[in-house]
Amino acid sequence: MLQFKLVLLGDSSVGKSSIVHRFVKDSFDEFRESTIGAAFLSQTIKLEKQDDVTIKFEIWDTAGQERYKSLAPMYYRNANAALIVYDITQPDSLAKAQSWVDELKNKVGDQDLVICLVGNKLDLCEEDPQKRVVDTEDAQRYASEQGLLFQEVSAKTGAGVTDIFQTIGEKLYVQKKNSQQAASQTRNTVNVELQRPSTNDSTSCCS
Amino acid sequence: MMSSERRPSMAERRPSIMGPLSPHVEHRGSNLMVPHLAGLEDPLPDSTPGNVDVVIVGTGLVESILAAALSWQGSNVLHIDANTYYGDSSATLTIDQLKQWVQDVNSDKMKFYENAKLHVSGAIRNGKYSSRDFGIDLSPKILFAKSDLLSILVKSRVHQYLEFQSLSSFHTFENDSFEKLTNTKQEIFTDPSLPLMTKRNLMKFIKFVLDWESQTEIWASYAEAPIATFLVEKFKLDKAQVYELIFSIGLCYNIDVKTPEALQRIRRYLISFDVYGPFPVLYSKYGGPGELSQGFCRSAAVAGATYRLNLKFISYDPITKMALFSDGSKVSVTEKVVVAPTQSSDNSMNVPEQKYEVQRLTCVVEKPCTEWFAEGENASVVVFPPDSLKSGNKQAVQALVMGSGSDICPKGTSVWYLSTTQSGPRGELDLDAALEALEESIIRESSADLENDENILQVGSNGHFVLNSVKLGQSFKEYIPREKLQFLMKLYYKQFTSTPPFEVVDPSIFDLNSTDDDRLIPGASDNAVLYTSPPSAEISYDEAITAAKVLFQRIVGSDDDFFDIDFEDEDDTEKLNESAITDDENMNMTLDTGMSVEPVEFAGEMEI
Repeated sequence: MLQFKLVLLGDSSVGKSSIVHRFVKDSFDEFRESTIGAAFLSQTIKLEKQDDVTIKFEIWDTAGQERYKSLAPMYYRNANAALIVYDITQPDSLAKAQSWVDELKNKVGDQDLVICLVGNKLDLCEEDPQKRVVDTEDAQRYASEQGLLFQEVSAKTGAGVTDIFQTIGEKLYVQKKNSQQAASQTRNTVNVELQRPSTNDSTSCCS
Repeated sequence: MMSSERRPSMAERRPSIMGPLSPHVEHRGSNLMVPHLAGLEDPLPDSTPGNVDVVIVGTGLVESILAAALSWQGSNVLHIDANTYYGDSSATLTIDQLKQWVQDVNSDKMKFYENAKLHVSGAIRNGKYSSRDFGIDLSPKILFAKSDLLSILVKSRVHQYLEFQSLSSFHTFENDSFEKLTNTKQEIFTDPSLPLMTKRNLMKFIKFVLDWESQTEIWASYAEAPIATFLVEKFKLDKAQVYELIFSIGLCYNIDVKTPEALQRIRRYLISFDVYGPFPVLYSKYGGPGELSQGFCRSAAVAGATYRLNLKFISYDPITKMALFSDGSKVSVTEKVVVAPTQSSDNSMNVPEQKYEVQRLTCVVEKPCTEWFAEGENASVVVFPPDSLKSGNKQAVQALVMGSGSDICPKGTSVWYLSTTQSGPRGELDLDAALEALEESIIRESSADLENDENILQVGSNGHFVLNSVKLGQSFKEYIPREKLQFLMKLYYKQFTSTPPFEVVDPSIFDLNSTDDDRLIPGASDNAVLYTSPPSAEISYDEAITAAKVLFQRIVGSDDDFFDIDFEDEDDTEKLNESAITDDENMNMTLDTGMSVEPVEFAGEMEI
């Protein structure tokens, strides 16, 4: 199974966490408490456009550290994808999302990073179109200029949420496939998995 | 002060289910105060909290562990740092950040550091390498496979934010060459250069030291004696083994270390061996304590702590219980203000004395230095015991060498971290002498005509070329280097701490500034503040958990709840099943398959 790290970015209260909630909850009947303690949320999806391809997202939430621009380098490191979330009912919201895009591009030099611009709170505008202050076209235009994926969603109703992850997953999968063909794996150092001590006991052979 | 009753742990106070999409679990003012799970429940309020249990100033490793422990215990924590980066005196910095740091040290803005000298080569300034390619630790550390920090990393799941690699190469510098450590029982048995008697004595000692504490009758009369005396008199060990045991295995700083302390340190190495594979030590990729600090801070944030970088602590008034910050904001504190001495406020008068000196020299060289690493590894430890250097060093110099595989520097380069507890101008002379020895050695070992020198390079049983260090050492003297080593960066600095090089932390320093005593100093900006201790010279992480635990206990009243968290392991079993699949992707291999010991590789190196 392919595993990808996805980070969330955007100002507080644009609904970053709710989107992830919606995405993860829709597939789990019960949102287990143990997951809270987990370092990040994980969700596995089957790609619709590919036969038999499942990918796993390791979703890193900001944990509130974005509020005072206090996200650590660790947060961005080795991210494969990013959701930049804004609120379509808030005036400065898109501009703030754009500064998060700049911040992200500044922190992560990787060309392969898949970025998706996400306008949240679609449900509010469907109830009352007056509430919309960010035009879909404006956001769409900015996204294409910057080469970002784009989607408007409602974390509340779930509209568009799974689409985001399908689209990102699809793009990551194709990228990965191409890069694997292009370059053979050069990594020869293995990481130590701390959860798995070896069965050898250092004291056993001399006692 | 905290009530004597045990505060219910995080898990106990949580409702058992997540409930609807936006569960409003915060009942302000009521007795049931559930810490906010930032980013997992509602968005947090936009304003700075007006009231917190604990303010922690400085995001060094100990402070970050403390923040996570308190947050998971249920305390409301505001954690700030005057710098724009995480880590404080444990930080991992880019070259540009280092430049700023050096300026701050030399303009007295960075407390308890002195005499920072930085040289950065044009290759970094002109763009061959970029500043961000480097992650330089201010206090590099190695992690023993069996240690309290490692257990906490796993228990808190902070390890999931990090990547770890093994380190099995420990070299002792002696007679102008590097001796690879004979560190496994197998190696001792198969080492042809060791006389039978020596092998027997060494094995006897190893058997003893694994359980030394319960055998007081053997060492009691040496409790105040140097370890060397004990090893020679009790176990009839020769100088070579005594030095290896004290300096490479024990990683002690000088010959006068007392027996029990040294035994503890030797045991630490031996019990760590084979826990995860044939190596005693690990380190985190992308940087050491700086990375771990970030991980613990993130964990604290998940449990509800508020983070603000670039904010200075101005003062705390124990009467009004208000803490003031550089942006004019203030917060009311119910329990305690904890401050790293490096970030103490102006007009502070209660900072404990930082009388122990650590001198460091950190270099980035344009050489991969793989000659010094075991196969498949990217780091090694080189120890220069007392009196092994041209400078006639009285204290050991320890060097941690890390290659680009650790992702702290670009391909083709490596980072050399040297440190010593030698104080005064002597310290720098020792560091320079050690650097020179490393430099000569790597130029010699990586030089082209080495391949033609059959005496030095031999084909091992596995078909690989193997260096014979003994012959290498002899050939040093005749060798005239043709190339010069390119230094991309060279940084000297002196650092102070209240923690002596050996004892972990002295809990009594935390007794200062207690509100109970009528010790409030008029005009002081830091009355009743609890100070932490900056990192000591210790090359391992051993002090960090002890220090955090003592502080935790001072604040909470007991350490029963120190990381008393038990995440359900469903996630882990799921992970295990998947790993079988991901192994195919070559992304997530376990070590048992990838590592192999090659005891023949360095055979014949130990001079007796």
